[in-house]
Amino acid sequence: HLAQDTSDLLQHVKFQSSNFENILTWDGGPESTPDTVYSVEYKTYGEREWLAKEGCQRIPRRSCNLTVETGNITEFYYARVTAVSSGGRSATKMTDRFSSLQHTTIKPPDVTCIPKVRSIQMIVHPTPIPVHAGDGHQLTLEDVFHDLFYRLELHINHTYQMHLEGKQREYEFFGLTPDTEFLGTITIFIPTWSKESAPYVCRVKTLPDRTWT
Amino acid sequence: QEFRFGSCRAKGVDLQELWEAFWAVKDAVQAQDNITSARLLRREVLQDVSDAESCHLIQALLKFYLNTVFKHYYKRTVEFRTLKSFSTLANNFIAIKSQLRPSQENEMFPVTERARGRFLLFQRAFRRLDREAAVTKAFGEVDILLTWMERFYRL
Repeated sequence: HLAQDTSDLLQHVKFQSSNFENILTWDGGPESTPDTVYSVEYKTYGEREWLAKEGCQRIPRRSCNLTVETGNITEFYYARVTAVSSGGRSATKMTDRFSSLQHTTIKPPDVTCIPKVRSIQMIVHPTPIPVHAGDGHQLTLEDVFHDLFYRLELHINHTYQMHLEGKQREYEFFGLTPDTEFLGTITIFIPTWSKESAPYVCRVKTLPDRTWT
Repeated sequence: QEFRFGSCRAKGVDLQELWEAFWAVKDAVQAQDNITSARLLRREVLQDVSDAESCHLIQALLKFYLNTVFKHYYKRTVEFRTLKSFSTLANNFIAIKSQLRPSQENEMFPVTERARGRFLLFQRAFRRLDREAAVTKAFGEVDILLTWMERFYRL
């Protein structure tokens, strides 16, 4: 790394990526003071030139959104932060090589749970991401990851769950008791990239059966 | 699941296993590569590769990785505790390469020449660096190779 390695001013420079939103974060070291300022640069792996990130020059905060600058999901990037303390001391630290395709974590899906009398329907909505195709249209997680699938569970009681799984968007759990509360969880899985989202949770109550009243 | 590089098929290789093997050593290996301004598997090598070219290109790349990169990197695996991942990658590269049967027909000559041209770009970039640095950089770029191979992978 760079000659001057004063980790007492600057530490843990890294990307945090979730659904392809790529935020550069860092910590001040034990010697950093509230008036220490930070400047961010970034580049594509293999390029010589570092580019200054507009809006993140001489800033007091410890994060910077580089989603646009690192928006090519098949590219590899580096970023670096330079900290300058009020006393004029400075330190520069670089991230590891970053690839959003590899590093991004997956947020829970957006789901609508629709209770009926003896069933519960679940509709999974596509997940838009801040990545655009060549023709400019916004992509979804499903566009990027071909092996993405959903796993749905309906908790009937403490010991019994119903399971559904697939790539389609609409699912329905049948054979349920009317006027009863159920807990549903829906998780995204992407096997090739060993990615799994936290579950989306919905608590719904089936409708009362009014057919004989 | 299998790889389909044009007419070539390579079965019985789990891409997820390759990824997990590389991720286990990625940060350690890439941290050894201080030359962030040079890249061996550049866009010109892997971008817009036709299906017909893909088998010739992947065969040349895997052969180079096995005969040059892994061969020279092997002695460093003990030092950097990367032997397990290294073996998984090497064995799976051998498994893929051994199943590839690129077409040798005459009319394929333009295709093989384009694939060869791409490989030579990679090889020249490799030779421009000091041997140790080049081997470390190439091993650190296995994720670039796997990202490209993923396009040809069918579950």
